[in-house]
Amino acid sequence: MTPSPAATEARLIGRVTRCSIQGFAGGIRMTEPDLPAFGGLCRAPAQGGRSQVIGLIYEISIEDDDLARQLAASDVPQEEVRLDQQFVRPIPIEILALSLGYHDGESYTYDLPPQPPNTLADIYSLPPSEVRQFTASLAFLPLVLAAPQLPTDSLLAATFRLAAQARPESERRAFLVSAGRECARLLSGDLGRVNNLVRSLQG
Amino acid sequence: MSLDLQQVLPQVEHLGQEAARRAAEASVRLPRLAQALLDAARLDRSELERRLAAAPSTAHPAGPTDESIDARFPLPPHPPRLRLLAADGSQVYPDRHAAAFFYMVNIGSIDLLQGSGRPPQIATRSNLHFHEDDLHDTRGLPVDTHLINARRDAAELAELARLVEAPILPERHRDGVSGGRSEAPAEVEGPTLALLDNGLLLWAASQEQKAARPDVQRVLDEYLAALDLLRDSGAALAGYISRPRGANVVDLVEAAAGEPGGPRPGLTDRLLFGRHLAAHARSARFRHPAKINDEFAARGHEIQFFYLHTGAQDGVARVEIPLWVADDAARMTMVHAGIVEQCRLTGVPYPLVRAHELALVGQDDRRALDRLVQAALIRHGISGLASQKAQTKRWTGRRRRHRL
Repeated sequence: MTPSPAATEARLIGRVTRCSIQGFAGGIRMTEPDLPAFGGLCRAPAQGGRSQVIGLIYEISIEDDDLARQLAASDVPQEEVRLDQQFVRPIPIEILALSLGYHDGESYTYDLPPQPPNTLADIYSLPPSEVRQFTASLAFLPLVLAAPQLPTDSLLAATFRLAAQARPESERRAFLVSAGRECARLLSGDLGRVNNLVRSLQG
Repeated sequence: MSLDLQQVLPQVEHLGQEAARRAAEASVRLPRLAQALLDAARLDRSELERRLAAAPSTAHPAGPTDESIDARFPLPPHPPRLRLLAADGSQVYPDRHAAAFFYMVNIGSIDLLQGSGRPPQIATRSNLHFHEDDLHDTRGLPVDTHLINARRDAAELAELARLVEAPILPERHRDGVSGGRSEAPAEVEGPTLALLDNGLLLWAASQEQKAARPDVQRVLDEYLAALDLLRDSGAALAGYISRPRGANVVDLVEAAAGEPGGPRPGLTDRLLFGRHLAAHARSARFRHPAKINDEFAARGHEIQFFYLHTGAQDGVARVEIPLWVADDAARMTMVHAGIVEQCRLTGVPYPLVRAHELALVGQDDRRALDRLVQAALIRHGISGLASQKAQTKRWTGRRRRHRL
């Protein structure tokens, strides 16, 4: 599948509301078609713009909205009202991202960043070209596997699928096989998880 | 905590008792008033006019129209397609303690074509006013909130006039989900209902001495010109007032009964018509008694109103319309059926809910605007500082929190 033209550019998907070395949260109001995806990669500037922290989106939540709740509880909404809510009226969303590394202007470092992004820093989704560059190395996997209380297996499966989609058709299978092998190596003591991950990738 | 709730508690209790007393008193007087409405409707028109002329000067009785004052009109059928336009506004008032002296008017609007299966189009127009003639009135005094409110009201109506002039485009001409407008020929659509979240009279011009001021007169002229455009477009226009507190019809009924008027806490038109109207029915039309309505009438825009039982939680709303809507059965149908239909989801018309949301300037927006203004001042070599007083308020406005 070739990425759609809109997906070939970095898109603003949030602004940092809280952050730490290990990750950051971003909030924004946006319309449904622009929502980022679980397992997608994003970046936010840090160190006064000298570096870009690379984050892996592991949670997307739509915050409470009284008007939407009222409409949901009422009679069947008119079609135009439903379309207004879904495509025109921005939804208040929050995304949570896990820090996987950073880019210092020259290359990627696959480790926790020296400083987190600052409050209100713009968070952009990574365009396919940057996804390919960042996932050219799978050195970020230990940080994901070590993250506590995350749906790690589903998260990795989603990340691999999205990273594969960012590649030409001819390279996708090789990428997925290579990612699966690296996970099997890192999870060699836990065959159950390896099986789960492979099943998720096949699904 | 600066608010001493212990101190306020007995006052709150007293407030509750007082409200209950007024409600009980009103409920005793209400049946008699409802009967007086029916009696007044049986009066000969000239006799009714004579009694209204003798009403005490403290009363503001609504004027009767060609409809019997106790008339009730059931819900008419809704047109298969109805274009709904709504505009609402908010403002940032000037603050002499801020880094710069300015004010802002923010207008939100929505254009929803019911029955089309298409998403609506929305717009927000923000205008910063900082020129000398924006900030001072014709007497050289700093602009007051009444004049800013009047300019906001005129901008809301101008936005509706802009929307009726810009027809919705057929699907093939639209450039995205949020819609777009071009020079392409317009699709023939259904009738149009334009809604405002307020009465239709320009209140800043309602006091004679204010109406005489050139700056107020200028706003009034703009407002009336927008009404001209709306009338000529063929659209229906209505001002929607939720939970109205007026008592113009109560005044009319009491004057017709020859009662001296006087205090009647809690007795409002809304209460009267809550008893008189079934769900989704509307009352007769009445002429708005405000003095400024004479000037509106002279320009062909006399304002009338009726009460409408929306069937929603708040029950009876007041709906204001110009005479050219009142006199046109098709436009009246649009107003009546359109408002009831739009109240089904959100209690008040949905397009007004969205227009309000689009117009609202919240505290965060205000702070962001202040930061932008400060940065612009600094870029141009001017101190971007708020006054010392504003700074001290900022210091003390945030609660001190002790961390353990």
